[in-house]
Amino acid sequence: MTWKEKLGAQIPADLGKEIDIYETQMELRKLGKIDEKLFAETRLRRGAYGQRYDNAQRFDGFQTQHLKFPLAPLTKGPDTAWDAPGMMRIKIPFGGLNPGQLEVLADCAEEYSDGILHITTRQDFQFHFVHIEDTPNLMRRLAAVGITTREACGNSVRNVTACPLSGICRTEAFDVTPYAKALTYFLLGHPDTQDFGRKFKPAFSGCEDEACGLVNMHDFGGIAQVRDGNRGFKLYVGGGLGAVPYQAKVFGDFVPVEELLPTAQAIARVFARLGEKANRARARIKFLVDKLGIEEFKRLVAEERKILPPDPRWTQFPAVDEKPIKPASSLNGHRPEGFNAWHTTNVYQQRQAGFATVTVACPIGDITSTQARQLADLVRKYSGDSVRTSVEQNLLIRWVSQADLPALYTGLKQIGLGEHGAGTILDMTACPGTDTCKLGIASSRGLARELRSQLAGKFFTLDESVKGLRIKMSGCFNSCGQHHIADIGFYGNSRTIANRKVPHFQVLLGGKWRNNGGSYGLAIGSVPSRNVPKVVERITERFVKERHANESLQDFYARIGKAESRKMIEDLMVVPPYEKDPTFYSDWGDPREFSMGDIGMGECAGEVITALQFELGAAERMNFEAQLAHEAGNFAKADELAFGSMLQAAHGLIHEQWLDAPRDPATVVSEFKTRFLTMFQPQLAGYLFKRSESAPAPTKEATHRLIEEAQLFIEGAHTCGDKLQLQKAADRAAVLKK
Amino acid sequence: METHKFGVKLFITNPAAKPLKDFIPVFHGWIQSQALPGHLLIDVHDYSHVHHGPGILLVSHEANLSLDEAEGRRGLVYIRKQPGQLADTIAAAKAAAKKLSDEHGVQFEACKFEVFVNDRLAGISAPQVTAAAGGRVTAKPGDSRERQTFVVNRE
Repeated sequence: MTWKEKLGAQIPADLGKEIDIYETQMELRKLGKIDEKLFAETRLRRGAYGQRYDNAQRFDGFQTQHLKFPLAPLTKGPDTAWDAPGMMRIKIPFGGLNPGQLEVLADCAEEYSDGILHITTRQDFQFHFVHIEDTPNLMRRLAAVGITTREACGNSVRNVTACPLSGICRTEAFDVTPYAKALTYFLLGHPDTQDFGRKFKPAFSGCEDEACGLVNMHDFGGIAQVRDGNRGFKLYVGGGLGAVPYQAKVFGDFVPVEELLPTAQAIARVFARLGEKANRARARIKFLVDKLGIEEFKRLVAEERKILPPDPRWTQFPAVDEKPIKPASSLNGHRPEGFNAWHTTNVYQQRQAGFATVTVACPIGDITSTQARQLADLVRKYSGDSVRTSVEQNLLIRWVSQADLPALYTGLKQIGLGEHGAGTILDMTACPGTDTCKLGIASSRGLARELRSQLAGKFFTLDESVKGLRIKMSGCFNSCGQHHIADIGFYGNSRTIANRKVPHFQVLLGGKWRNNGGSYGLAIGSVPSRNVPKVVERITERFVKERHANESLQDFYARIGKAESRKMIEDLMVVPPYEKDPTFYSDWGDPREFSMGDIGMGECAGEVITALQFELGAAERMNFEAQLAHEAGNFAKADELAFGSMLQAAHGLIHEQWLDAPRDPATVVSEFKTRFLTMFQPQLAGYLFKRSESAPAPTKEATHRLIEEAQLFIEGAHTCGDKLQLQKAADRAAVLKK
Repeated sequence: METHKFGVKLFITNPAAKPLKDFIPVFHGWIQSQALPGHLLIDVHDYSHVHHGPGILLVSHEANLSLDEAEGRRGLVYIRKQPGQLADTIAAAKAAAKKLSDEHGVQFEACKFEVFVNDRLAGISAPQVTAAAGGRVTAKPGDSRERQTFVVNRE
């Protein structure tokens, strides 16, 4: 029995079909029938990501080894070995999941990964060291419990994040969960989101002053507002971290909730049409908004909004039905050892009296499969069905009756998840860095482990002003660890000392976590990795000693100035000679002599594959399926698929000019005739017209001929498509020039 | 259903002799010399921060090996990922254990180890494990969500 057979109808039909198609595309790639770039973007949009060393090169400390993967030279993308282990990113919209989903994630991590569920800084889960051959079954098992990996990577709408306290928060305007959920499923696979030059990350917050959903650093975001009793969002666009961080611009002070989805759709269309495609470093929407100016961008979106065909989903917001399993109560009775410290940092008093939300601190976002199953049991027992992931790489258990807190704490302690310090200096955020990321320069996770270990020993002796600081680190400047919005941020870089490479971290001060990521920190100097713990000690000690009453670290930094801040760490920027201390020349948790040689080509930017290329790829897949049906003697099916492949290719061309083009055969043929008759090679166009006018009896010979004609028609569509792309680029340049 | 996704845990009897993180350079050394025949050794991963987790992980194309801390009991875990027989999986795990023992003084329990099936679609019977591993084999009790696990005792 296979997972597909076993799960059967538990897999939603649309998800099941998509996974079957993906599996066929894998087969086609193995047969060399799909280009590696197209396959790379295809798998990325299904969440299957590359991982460090998948270019089959690894520096072992002395030399670069060529890793001889068995299926070489087969690739799953440019310079990416087919059978090299990779990463699987799993979308968790607004971070919400239930115990059953947590259990399936645990099983899949155990069977296909390394038994670890890693929570990301965008509320996703990631599995590492996954073999591509296992990915279809992994997707099916997740789909059976309502989880999709679709568009978790690639140039697509990524996970829609939201404040994990939505619905129980004491300061929110209203619960943003239904809107985050509606936007997720509205944009997922939407035709208007398939032609982006880069990714697009949305986020929602319930209130403006807290950190919440970090809307300021997102491509698109909404902060809940109520005006005259009506719900709406203060809408933002064009924010983003990365190498060049941008604060989002206000798109609208109050956009009614009914306008949220159509506005997002119109923004997606403008981004797809005018966003940069060639220069990957400038293809995020923040660059487009910056180039056009927010007012012109708004004007273009308003124009697009006017011509959008109405969609009933625009106003369908799913109800949130969270019910606590226990009645409200008060915290009383025996408090186990360690409870009070945990209660101070890990427990949030909900708006609903008698209930609390517990933050389960997961060290650098990791929990084991066993812990995840045990946690699912605790959630069922004390909460019901409500778990959320957070952008601080933790898990939240909501709706805990206050009287149950001591028992829940004891349960968490028993499974190794009862650590205090959530949301404090101990609760560090780190991206995967050199552990698994192809772009990682320095070991962000190694540094986080070391810092956490050093600070944990003295946490209770730290000044209160220091306990609440946040430290975030990234392995490179791309800011996946969100170092720009930390009180103290670090990102990995490298310096050469006497012909040897030394891992360093750039130190950033001035970042603001609150106010939805209200300001971005600036670099004050780069220090060798080994000195980072001393940097933290130096900065925090000086802050405690010289801070004014109630002064934040950001204000302190602003007061003493950049030059003085740099002076504070200047002596720690010095690297001793290798002969004196070779430990400086290797990274935390990695005894190899440090090298930059393992950095590969990242896949964050995806491959630039247009919507047309996807449609033509789908046409080719259908044509291949027609061949399989023909081979199996199912000529009627072969005829249907071959004709369908021509329609698919023709629709791809029409869609380039008419975004809302219908897919029914009569319209496709008619529109194709109107629009492309003069651009398309007449003989090839004739194959489509001939078959659409009359379907021949599906004999072996007739269908064989039709399959060949369809293949030629698809070739013609490629040629025609190239001309269209040139025209589109010229149109785009003209608009931007204007 | 047939499966090759078997795992073996060989228990370490002197865990205090070597701190967990000291196995990081050991495994990196194994990669440098590609020290396990029949395995393409790829990378080392540090999970020492995770409670009762995989500890220090050595990833190869064919299998994951780890200085595992599950249930608070350190052992060498070998999990097969590519096709192979159970008997070969047990032999590969023991070969890795012998290498740790010979070169780094790690001592393993001689008469007892665990075999598990890392595949919830497949099952295996105690006699099948006996045929591959020898000794007295008993199913290890666990809840229905856990992997099917057998304890192998060889007096």
